[in-house]
Amino acid sequence: MHFLNRRQFTAAGIGAGAIALQSLLAGETAARDGASAAPHHPPTARSVIFLFMSGGPSQVDTFDPKPELSRLEGKDVPDSIVARVPRIKRAGLKNLMASPWEFHSHGESGLAVSTLFPEVAKHVDDLCVVRSMTHRNPVHGPGECVALTGTGTGDRPSLGAWCLYGLGSMHEQLPAFLTMNLHTDGMQHPQAAGWGTGFLPSRFQGTVVDPAKGISHVTMPEGTTSTRRKSELDLIRQFDQRFVERIGGNGELEARIRSYQMAFEMQTAAPELFDIASETADVQKQYGMDDAATKLVGRGCLMARRMVQRGVRFVQLRIGGWDAHGNIKGNHEKMAARTDRPIAALLNDLKQHHLLDSTLVVWGGEFGRTPTMEGLGKGRDHSPAAYTMWLAGGGVRGGQTIGETDELGYTVTERPVSPQDLHATILHALGIDSTRLVYDHHGLQETPLGVSDGAPVMEVFG
Amino acid sequence: MPAPPLVHARLILRTAVVAVCALVASLPAPSSADEPAFGADWQRNAFATSIFEINGTEARNNPLRRKLNQPFVDDELFIRYRIRYAAESVDTPAEDEGEFVVMWLDQVEGNEAATHSGGVPNIGIHVSGLQNRFMVRYASTKESFAAELRGGRDFLVVARLWKSDPGRDRPFDQLNLWIDPDPDAEFQPHASVESRQSVSQVKWIGFSTGRKTEVEDRIDVWDIELSKTWRGILELPEQPPVSEVPVPIAKRTIDFDQHVFPILDGKCFSCHSGDDAEIRLDVHDEVLNLVALRNADDSHLFHLVSEREMPPQDEPPLTEAEIKTLKTWIDEGLAWDADRLPPPRPQTEHWSFQPIVRPKIPRVKHAERVRNSVDAFIVRKQEALGIQPVPPADPETLARRMSLDLLGLPPTGSDTTVDELLSNPAYGERWGRHWLDVARWAESNGHQHNRFRPYSWRYRDWVVDAFNSDLPFDQFLAAQVAGDELAADDQSERSHLIATGFLAAARYSGNELDKRIQRNDILVDVVNTTTSAFLGLTFECAQCHTHKFDPISMRDYYRMQAFFANGQPGNLCIDDDTRAAGLVRERWEIYDRTLNRLVTVRQRKGVPNPELVLPKTVVSRISGEDKTRFQELENQIGQLAQTWGFYSAGKQSPTIAPHEMRWPLPRDAAALGEVKTHLLLRGDINAPGPEVDPGWPLVFGPTPELGDRPRKALANWLTGPDNPLTARVWVNRIWHWHFGKGLVETVSDFGKQGTPPSHPELLDFLASELIDHQWSTNHIHRLILDSATYRASSQFEAANAKRDPENASYWRWVPRRLESEAIRDSMLAVSGQLDVAVGGPSVPTDGGSQRRSLYLRQHRQRLSDQQRLFDGANGIVSCSRRRVSTTGLQPLWLLNSTFTQGAANALAEAAGTTSKAFQLCLGREPAPDELAALQTHAETQGLASACLVLLNTSEFLYIP
Repeated sequence: MHFLNRRQFTAAGIGAGAIALQSLLAGETAARDGASAAPHHPPTARSVIFLFMSGGPSQVDTFDPKPELSRLEGKDVPDSIVARVPRIKRAGLKNLMASPWEFHSHGESGLAVSTLFPEVAKHVDDLCVVRSMTHRNPVHGPGECVALTGTGTGDRPSLGAWCLYGLGSMHEQLPAFLTMNLHTDGMQHPQAAGWGTGFLPSRFQGTVVDPAKGISHVTMPEGTTSTRRKSELDLIRQFDQRFVERIGGNGELEARIRSYQMAFEMQTAAPELFDIASETADVQKQYGMDDAATKLVGRGCLMARRMVQRGVRFVQLRIGGWDAHGNIKGNHEKMAARTDRPIAALLNDLKQHHLLDSTLVVWGGEFGRTPTMEGLGKGRDHSPAAYTMWLAGGGVRGGQTIGETDELGYTVTERPVSPQDLHATILHALGIDSTRLVYDHHGLQETPLGVSDGAPVMEVFG
Repeated sequence: MPAPPLVHARLILRTAVVAVCALVASLPAPSSADEPAFGADWQRNAFATSIFEINGTEARNNPLRRKLNQPFVDDELFIRYRIRYAAESVDTPAEDEGEFVVMWLDQVEGNEAATHSGGVPNIGIHVSGLQNRFMVRYASTKESFAAELRGGRDFLVVARLWKSDPGRDRPFDQLNLWIDPDPDAEFQPHASVESRQSVSQVKWIGFSTGRKTEVEDRIDVWDIELSKTWRGILELPEQPPVSEVPVPIAKRTIDFDQHVFPILDGKCFSCHSGDDAEIRLDVHDEVLNLVALRNADDSHLFHLVSEREMPPQDEPPLTEAEIKTLKTWIDEGLAWDADRLPPPRPQTEHWSFQPIVRPKIPRVKHAERVRNSVDAFIVRKQEALGIQPVPPADPETLARRMSLDLLGLPPTGSDTTVDELLSNPAYGERWGRHWLDVARWAESNGHQHNRFRPYSWRYRDWVVDAFNSDLPFDQFLAAQVAGDELAADDQSERSHLIATGFLAAARYSGNELDKRIQRNDILVDVVNTTTSAFLGLTFECAQCHTHKFDPISMRDYYRMQAFFANGQPGNLCIDDDTRAAGLVRERWEIYDRTLNRLVTVRQRKGVPNPELVLPKTVVSRISGEDKTRFQELENQIGQLAQTWGFYSAGKQSPTIAPHEMRWPLPRDAAALGEVKTHLLLRGDINAPGPEVDPGWPLVFGPTPELGDRPRKALANWLTGPDNPLTARVWVNRIWHWHFGKGLVETVSDFGKQGTPPSHPELLDFLASELIDHQWSTNHIHRLILDSATYRASSQFEAANAKRDPENASYWRWVPRRLESEAIRDSMLAVSGQLDVAVGGPSVPTDGGSQRRSLYLRQHRQRLSDQQRLFDGANGIVSCSRRRVSTTGLQPLWLLNSTFTQGAANALAEAAGTTSKAFQLCLGREPAPDELAALQTHAETQGLASACLVLLNTSEFLYIP
C-alpha cells in the first residue's frame, strides 16, 4: 500500500484543473509526475458528450451516400470489393440493397446527409464526418468494448475513465463521468466495461444515472432532516479525525473524511442538476420532450447539456436499438425519430450557451452494417469493416468529411480510422497525449491505447 | 476415436460392388466377412431406371433402396457414388428453391415417402444460400456443405461415416465428405458434420429426393460402393502396412534444408541469428510473425527482400532465383526443419525461475523481537535498516484484526485462537472469496446476452469447503485444472467435476455466428487466468508476440492453450449419470425434431441460414405430445444435480445438461476431441500457423509424453518438485491477503515486470514450509498469525517513517479498508441481522437478503451497489488485488441506502444504548468524550442516527 500524503500531492506539481481530483487522490500513487501530468498541450475541449448509438447504425443509410447501391441492387458484391471484405461469416456478399433514403447536400459545406436526419442535417457545417472508421470485431458486446475501451475483452479502462484519470473533475459536487443508458431494445444490454475502469481505481468509473431519477442514494431517507444529517456528519468527522491521528498521516483516511463533504454537497448539487423545471417549456420542446418518441432521448440530451454546463467532464449517452437485422427501413426510421430532434437540439443548445466550443460531441455506434441485404427481410447485418462516426464542437473543423469507402460503402479505401485512433483524437482535444498519459499497473506502464498503434486524426481539428 | 483411415493396416479385398449400369449385372462378388456387402437386389420404384436415373416427385421420394447382407456395425465405413445432374433440370435456388437429392444410410428401409432424416446420415445435394451444393447432414441443423453442383458433369462423391467413440452400440456420429478427391494429395474432408443423434448400424442404403426436386429432373447415379477403407473406396492398389502415415497436405516444392536454409545461412544469419539479434530469422516463430501466412506478397519480410532493402547494400545481394525461392517458401506455408533450427530454450536468471531453496533461519541481535521463524527474516531487515518495531497490538485490537482478517466479521468473543477461527465456517466464506477473485468467478456468461448460469454456485461452495477443510493446495490446484480427468479416472472423485468451475468461469458471448472467435476467446481467458493464478506469469502478452520481458514465446502460449483446446464449459450432471443421459438425450430429440421442422419451413421460404433459429423460438414451437413430454423432461433435468464446469471429449465425459441460450459451442463432446491447436499469428484466429501439442513453456525444460490425461499431467507439473513458481505464488497470495501487500507486491506477476520480493528468503522459507507440510494453507496461516510481525500495533513512529515511509520492513501494522463484502457483512453482524446459512444457490442482490455477501448473485454487469462502489471484483478478469478508491458516492450509500438505514435501525434495537452500540461496532469501550458526543447526538437525533454514525466511521470500516 502506498499512501500518498499531502506533501506528495503538492510535490507532484499538478495543474489547477486537476485540483479537485487531487483532493480525493488516495490509496495508491498514480503514475503522474511533472512529465506526464495532463494537459500535455492546450486543449480544444473541456468536456465530451459521447452519443453512443448501440446496435450499429448503417453508414450507407445515414452519412455515406452510395448511389452505386441503387444501380447494383440485387446483384452480388463485385469481385474487386469481395477481395477486400474481411472473411467473417456475417459479411454477406450477395444481394446488394439500395438505401431506402435519399441523400441531399446541406449547409455551406454541401455535406450529404440522408433524409433520415433532417434536423441534424441543419448542423452539417459543424460536423466532421469520419467515413472510414474500421475494426474487425463483428459482435455487439465485444464490439461495444472495442468502441469504448479499445479492445474487445472489456478488461481495459473506458475512454471516459482515462479522461478522468488524466484531467480530474471540474466540479467537486458531481461525479465527473456520468453515463445514461437509454433504450436497450432487444438483446443488446449495455457493456459495463463502457464506463468501467479496468485496471484504474474504481473512483474513475462512470456513474450510471437514470436521466429522470438522478444519482442513486442522493436523497436522504425520510425522517432525516438536514439538522440531523449535519450533526451526523460532524460526529463522523470527529471520530474519523481521531482515527487518523491515532494511525498517523494517512492520505487514504484523509480522503475519506473529505468524501463526506463531497457527498453532502452532492446531495444539493445532484437534485439541482436533475431538476429541469428551471428550463423553459420552449427549451424542453426543442429537445422533443413533448413527444413520446423523443421524450427519453430528449431528456438525456438536455441532461447532457446541463451536465457539461456544470463542469462534468465526460457524459456518455448510450442509445440502443440500431440493430437493424430484419428491416433497415423500419428500424432506422424508428431510431431516427427517437434521436434526430434531440441531437439537433443539443448541438443548437450547446451553441446558444457558448458551450459547443468547449464541448466535443461524438456520434456513432460499435460498427456499421453491410451494404448487402441480410436474409430476405430487407435488413442489414453487422459490418465493422467500414462505418461512419461524426464529431462536432470542441475544436473540430465542421463541414468536412474524413476518409473514403469503396463505391458500396463496404470497405475503407482511404484514411482508415480505428476506434483507437478516435480515442487518441478525443484525448487530444482534451489536451491529453495518449502516449504520455501513463498508469503504473502492477509495474506495467499502461497508456490509454495499450499495445495498439492508434494516433490522433489531426485533420479533424484543422 | 478410430485411427485415421490411411493407417488401416490390412487392405481386405473390396468385394461389395454394385454394378455400374444395369441392376442385373450387380451380382455380389465373393464377400469377405470384414467388408460390408450388399444383400438382396436394389429395390426401386418407377422413378429409378435401370441406369439408376432418378427423377423427383416434388415430394419426399425414395426411388432406390437396398439392404446390406448384414448390418454394418463397425466403426468406420466409406461410401462412394458417382452422380450427374442433367444441366437443363438444375434449378438455381434463387429461381425455384433449388435441388435436393441424397444417399441415406439407415437401420430401416422406410417406405416410398420415408424421410430418412433427423439422425440419419445423408450424403448428397442441397441448397446453401443461393447455390446447390454437395453436402453431408444428419438433420437440417447438422448440415455441412462442399462444392457447388454443376449440371451435366460427373462428380465422384466419397464419404466417410464413423464413430468417434468406437463400439457396436455407439452412434455413427461423424460424417465427412469429399467431392472428386485426389487420393494422393489430401485427406482433409471438404465438408464434415457430426451428431450424436445418429444410427449405430447401417442396414439399408438408398437414395431419396425431396420437395425441391421435380418430375422432369434427371439425376444419374452409379458406381455405388461401400468399403471399410479409404484406399478401398478409391480402388487404389494395396498399400503395405505402415505404423504412421502423416496426414498429407498440399505438396511442397520447396525443401527447407535444401533450398531455404542455404539462403538464410549465407545471406541473413550473420546479422539475424543468435540471442543478440534484434530480428531473428533462425527462430521459426519469429519468422512466422514477419509474414502473412501463405501470402508472400502481403508479407513484410518478403517486401524487404523483393524491394532490395535487405540484405543491406554493402552485403552480397540475393539473386532473382533466391528471391523466388523465398517467395515460394512463404506461399507454401513456411516449411521449417526443427531439428536443424530448434526453438531456442530460453535462459533466464530472473529470480522467480530459480529453484526454491530453503534458507537458514537468520540469527538476529534482538532475539526478543522474534516470536517465530517468520520474524527472524523480518527483524534481520529491520536491524539492517536501523528500525525499531512498534509494540504489539493490544488484545482487543488483535482479536478484531484476526477476526476481520480470517472471518470477514467483527469478533464475537467466542473464537479467540487462530485454530478456533480457522475452524469457523465463516473462515472459508471469507478466504474462498479471495480465491474467487483470482478465478474471475461469476455466475453469468458475460458480454451482451449475459445469461445466468444457475449452477455456478457449486464451484463457489467447493472453494469455501476447500478452505474450511484445508484441502492441500496441490490437490486444490489439480482439481481445478483437471477435475474432469480426475473424476473420469475414479468415479469416487466425482466432486472434482465441480472444481472445474475454475476453468468454466470464462465468459463467452453466445452468438451463433462468429463461433470460432468466441471459442478462441474462451481459451484465451482460460490460459490467461490459469497461468496468472498459479504461475504468476502474464502469459497474455505472448498471445500475439513472444513475451517482451519474460521467457515465454508465442509457441509456449499456444502449447499451453492446447491443454484446454479439447474442452469447454457446460452444465455437468454430477450424479446418476445413466438416468441423466437418458433424459437429456430425449430432451434433445424432441428439440431437434421441432427445430428440423422449423428449419424445413424456413428453407422452403428460402431463408438464408435457415438453421439459425433461436432456442427459445424452438422451445415455444414444440407442440402436441412433445410439448407435455418436453416440459416433464425439463422439470426432471432441472432437478438433476448439475454444476457449471469444464469437460473434454472422452469415454467418461459426464452428461451435459442443456444451458438454454444461443450456443456457440458444439453440443457434442465428441467434436471436441478433434480440435487441433494452431499457433495464431498476431493472435488472429484467421491466421493459423503451425499446429502445436500441449506442453509447458520451454524455459522449464522439455515436456514429456503426456498420455491421454494432459491436464492431469499439467497439474502434476505445476505442483511438482521442479516448479519454482507455484508454491511461491501461493504463499505470497496468503501473505498479501493478511497484510494487504505481498512480499512480491505484484501478486500475479512474478515476471521481470513485476516487483522483486521485499524478503526473498522469507518467501522461500514459506514456500518450503508449504511443500514440506503437505501444501497446507492453514500451516502458513499459523506461521503468519503467530508472528510478532502480524501482531504489531499500528502505532505511528516518526523515526521509522523517515527511514521506511512505505513500511516495507513491516515496522508496524497498516490498517486497511474492508472489502465491499466485509463492509456489508460486518453491518449485518453487529446489528444482529446476519443470516449465517452456509452454501447453496445465490440470492438476489436487491431482495433484502441478510446472508453473507458471498452469496449475493454474481451476475456480471449487474453486481450490487456496494460491490461496484467499494472496488469489488467484477468477474471479468482475474483480480489479484482489490484496490481502495474513495469517492463521494460511497458516503451516499453508507448514509442513505435502505440497507445501511436498516442496519442502523436494527443495531439501535439490538444495542439499546449508545455505549453498547459502540462496543458492538468497534469492539472496545468508548472513551468518555467519545461516549459523551455520541450520547448528546442520540438524545436529539435518536439512537438509530447515532448507530448510523458508528457504521460510517473509518474505525468500523478498517481492519485495525
